[in-house]
Parts: sequence; C-alpha cells; structure tokens
Amino acid sequence: MTLSCPETRARFAAYLDEELQREERSALRAHLAACASCRSEAGAEDPALLFASVAPEPVSAEDTARVLASVRAGIALKSVERRVRVIAPVRRFAGMAAAVAAAALLALTVGSPAPPRAATALLAAHAAPPESSKADAAGAAAGANATGPARPSTAPFAEAAGPAKGRLPADATIYDWNPGGGQPRVVWIVDRSLDI
Amino acid sequence: MELVYSEARVRRESEELSDRELALAARAGDMVAFEALVVRKTPAVVSVARRIVPNAEDSHDVAQMVFLRVWEQLDRYDEQFSFNTWLSRIATNLAIDFLRSARSRERAHGATLHVVRLREEATSGETSRAAEDGEIARLFRQASERLTGKQKAAFVLREMEDKDTSEIAAILGCGESTVRNHLFNARRILKREIEKICPGFFATKGRNGEGKARS
Repeated sequence: MTLSCPETRARFAAYLDEELQREERSALRAHLAACASCRSEAGAEDPALLFASVAPEPVSAEDTARVLASVRAGIALKSVERRVRVIAPVRRFAGMAAAVAAAALLALTVGSPAPPRAATALLAAHAAPPESSKADAAGAAAGANATGPARPSTAPFAEAAGPAKGRLPADATIYDWNPGGGQPRVVWIVDRSLDI
Repeated sequence: MELVYSEARVRRESEELSDRELALAARAGDMVAFEALVVRKTPAVVSVARRIVPNAEDSHDVAQMVFLRVWEQLDRYDEQFSFNTWLSRIATNLAIDFLRSARSRERAHGATLHVVRLREEATSGETSRAAEDGEIARLFRQASERLTGKQKAAFVLREMEDKDTSEIAAILGCGESTVRNHLFNARRILKREIEKICPGFFATKGRNGEGKARS
C-alpha cells in the first residue's frame, strides 16, 4: 500500500488517535520517510509525527564487532568468577591454616626472650581482643606504615580498631611483636577481607 | 580425509537458523549460535538503546550488558514466546536502568558533559538527510529528558520503532492501557519541552496535538 501526499496528510489525525490499521500506519510512516515536504508538515503537528520518521542511527560492522568482543570478555570474566566462587571456601581455609603455621614458625624461630608469650598473645587476639590494647591500635597502625623510625612498643600485639585508624580495612588485624623495642621490628598485618 | 569440524561451516549454518532456533542452540551450550545471535541482534539492540540513553557510547555499553544478561538468563527464556520480545524486554529495561543512573550521575556532575556531547555530535560530518535526522534526534534527546524511563521507552518503541501497543505492554511488563497512558503523557511532555526549546514550533498549526486521554 502506498499513499500520495494529500492522502498522507489527510491521515495525520487518525494516526495520532491510533485509528489507522497496521498497513495504513506503515504506509504513512514509509511516505514520511521518503517525502521531505510531508515530513515537515507532519513534524509541526505533534511530537509523535515529528519523531516517527527519524531513521535509526546506523550501527557499523566495527560497532557490532566491538560489542561482540566485549560480550566475549564479559562471559570469560563471569566464567572465571563462577570458578573462583566454587574454589574460594577451600582456599580461604587453606589461607587460615597457612597463617596459623606461619605464626607457629615465627614464634619458634625468632628466638627472642618471650616468643611463647607472643605466640600465645597472637592467638588470644583472634579470640578476644583486650580493651586495653585498643589505645595502642592507632600507634601500631602508624608504625605498620613504616614511614618513620620504629616505634618501640611495650605491648606484644595490638588489634586494629577500624577504618578510622588509617588506610587499613576494618577487619585487618595488626600483630606488632617487638619485645625489645629495637630492630628488627616485626609487624604482621592480617587482612581478613582478602580472599587468600 | 573428511573434515570433522569446521567453525566457518558451523557459522554459516547458524546464519540460516531463526532467532528462536539460535537461542535454543545457545541455551544448549552452543557458543557459535550465541555469537551469531549477538551479531544478528546488535544493530536492533543498539538502535533502541541509542534512543533511550544519552549517547552512542552508552548504547554500546547497554548492548553489551543486554547480551551478557541474555547469556546468563537463556535458561529462563520461554520458547513459546517471541525471542525478539524477550530480548526487547531485557534491552528496554537495562536501557531504562542505565538512563536512571546516567541522570543521577548528571545531577551529581552538572549538565556540562551533556552540552559538550551535543556540540560534538552537531559538528560531526553529516549528509543533508542524516543532518535532518541528527537534528531531530538531538531535539528528542533534549526534550525527552523530562520523561520517565517508562514513558520514554513506550514512546520510542511505539513512535520510533513502530511496535504494537500489545508488544510494548509485553516488553514493559504492564497492561496496554498503561502503555497508552505512557504514550499520552510522553507526547504531552515532549510537546511542552519542544515549545520551551523552540518557541512557536507547534503554534502555527490548528491541531492542539495533545490527543485524547485513553483509558
């Protein structure tokens, strides 16, 4: 079905009132797409007619290839995420076991005057951080950044108290083991938010 | 020697399948079929998204999100219904979500970026018809900023993509009367906004252009 210019213009009102059959509606839109004069006339009638004849912006083969490449990359990423989610609990457990083993090894090999006490304190800090250690947390965090001279600490450990203490995450634990107050200083930070 | 597997041949075969057949093959794990579907449907998805989101780059981002969502949710596709309607629903909803977040970003950062983009688009090389279309498309993007996501989507699907109200209702997940209300309000708001941008645009015509409220 094709429409002449007068036939097209005579149908503007019916088009806007949704009274045209599918075929007539398509014919009117096709005429508008091809006829600048009727397009101009229609555009001044109503937004529905003004925007009816705007051709979609072309999508090039390069654009399509770019979308396909992004989708492939996205699918690959999601596939990896799924695999990591399955493996993560096992790896987290392995990470915790490694941390405990490292603590035991540190306590046994440093050979300081009080390694057993330090090791005990490290483990105790996991279970129930003492209130008295909170005061030292900020200082320990500052010391952990290692930007200045080592700060002698009388406490064998300190528990980080939250994000307000600096750049460390809220659930990071700082073990500051420094029985003699001198070098070498050992600061051990465990970030429980890390998936290791 | 017989060639057991040829990716080129598989791709050629995929091109002959319907959208629905490709979707079902993709659901069964056929990545070649899925990629054929992406290539075939990208122009349509980008075209609809382009009319809803602020700029061309965003429409490509939306298209990428659409096909990732399709890939994730293929097992939920009910083959009794049209694949294109299902795809349009995902594309429209993601474009509306993108539009909402783009608007909130713009509110946070000011409208400067939008103005810069409009200027950039206006200065790109265009033929006369393309220039006219570009001008009207820019006017639409500017005037439609006051539309809600649903109003804009309904208007784009009906008046620009020429879809039936029943299909738009299926895409937007609402009733046909709601679609008609969205369309009525969209036309009213667009007319008001165009008059603000270009005073006297519709004034020379006798018809008020606001149509009738439909229930």
